[in-house]
Amino acid sequence: MTDLEPVPIETPPAPRLRTIDFWRMTYCSFYLQALFAPERQQGPGFALALLPAIKRLHAGAAERGRALARHMGFFGTHPVLSGYVLGLVARLEERRAQGAPIDDAQIETAKRSLASPLAALGDPLFWVTLRPLAGLAGILGLGLVSLAGVAGPDQRVLVCPLLALLTYNAVALHYRVRGVPRGYAMADEPGKLLHSLRLGPLKAVFERVSAFLFGFLIVLTLVPMTASADPAGQGAMHTASVLAPFALAWIGTILALRRWPGRSVELALAAALVALVVSTRV
Amino acid sequence: MLTELLRVALLGGLLTIDRSAGWNLMLGQPLVGACLAGALLNPGPEWEPLALRIPLGVGVLLQMLLTDPSLPAAQKPRDTATAGVVGASVGILCLERLHPYLTVTGGIVWVLVGTLAGLLAAMAGGWLEVGMRSGSQDAARRGEALALEGKVAAFEALYWRGVGRLFLRGASWSVAATVAGVAGASLLLPNAAHFLTGPRSGLLFAAVLGVALGAGYHAHVRTPRNGFRWAFLGALVAAVVLLRSKGGAP
Repeated sequence: MTDLEPVPIETPPAPRLRTIDFWRMTYCSFYLQALFAPERQQGPGFALALLPAIKRLHAGAAERGRALARHMGFFGTHPVLSGYVLGLVARLEERRAQGAPIDDAQIETAKRSLASPLAALGDPLFWVTLRPLAGLAGILGLGLVSLAGVAGPDQRVLVCPLLALLTYNAVALHYRVRGVPRGYAMADEPGKLLHSLRLGPLKAVFERVSAFLFGFLIVLTLVPMTASADPAGQGAMHTASVLAPFALAWIGTILALRRWPGRSVELALAAALVALVVSTRV
Repeated sequence: MLTELLRVALLGGLLTIDRSAGWNLMLGQPLVGACLAGALLNPGPEWEPLALRIPLGVGVLLQMLLTDPSLPAAQKPRDTATAGVVGASVGILCLERLHPYLTVTGGIVWVLVGTLAGLLAAMAGGWLEVGMRSGSQDAARRGEALALEGKVAAFEALYWRGVGRLFLRGASWSVAATVAGVAGASLLLPNAAHFLTGPRSGLLFAAVLGVALGAGYHAHVRTPRNGFRWAFLGALVAAVVLLRSKGGAP
């Protein structure tokens, strides 16, 4: 090599995200709502969950701080599905760090275009359908263990919560663990990503299972109740009079919740009070 | 009582993190919380059968009563995470302390006491939660300022302090509500012992169970499309299963 030949300058390799960063982001996404407030909703949590990617992609403290602050504005999606948005944004941030001409507005638009439909599909699936279904599965454990006639200490105190936890997390954890890598891999096709999650059909299936299990529970509750209402064999009128408070409260609640949805706590307290007053008169 | 309250605090704090920080693993549901509280607060072998059935009963009733089929934005603020813990803890601690004062045997009174305590705790806890949101808002603003100054580590510390604050809120609320519930029951129940007869407790229980199943119907059958058809099918299958299990019994 002569003095006139150009000396090759070693450029630092383009920053790339690693699998460990995806795992760290997934872990942090479990704390997405710790600073939840109406103004920004999950914004601070989203910034925290993106921090492992920001640390990998940016070197200086000031640069990291600026990248972090960009993601601290309003953000709202379903927490179980937040990993998909995190993956997508991490991919765009990575390209930007590698020199691609991507500005703040493009990242924000992509983020919102995925976050909003995920919230619209995730809330009805997880909060309105799957969580009540899991609770119902847990309650049914009460009847099923009794039917099985298991001897020994009352194992239902373990079986019921386990059934509820397994039913919910079998679905929710699947989405949580796959979210970030899948969002990263399909960052260019958010529409296809959204469609591939099959959230709508899943909700329809869970709704039917939920209604089916509730019918099952009603029979499991009513049959022993009817049997124990008349131990001395005093006839149908006696059974009807014993079951009347239950039936009245049941029908009254169904009618009242149509008029005042979400007021079941107040209705239960009112029913207990009415029953107490009635019991002193009869 | 102190060790029991420490367990209640730990459980209440963890379940609040599950519900409010974003774990969302279903630990913060009343059925799970009540059963975990039941497993942690075992009052000893002399109360064995009741001590396990009370949290189950409380958990089942609270689970149905606190299941709201509305979207989160339309829901009433209810602290479902600590409701199960408070309800089951009040039920068990009252059983241990007040059972000798009552003439009614069996756990139905304590299930009722626990359920009512849990419902009140859910309502009051919900208001408390809404009141704490302004603190989160201020913390988020401070976090943004720290990020703009390039203090990433300080932002992280601020965020994890927020998680710790949630834990403390859940822990302190669970203990406060449990102590208030046990104190209230200790004042009321011994004086009302003659009033709490078996049939009267049964009537109260039937009314609360009726409301719980009505709320369950609203959540599982009325809201979904074709829900009634599927519920009828489920009832039919249950009837067949019960008939077969009865037929097989000696």
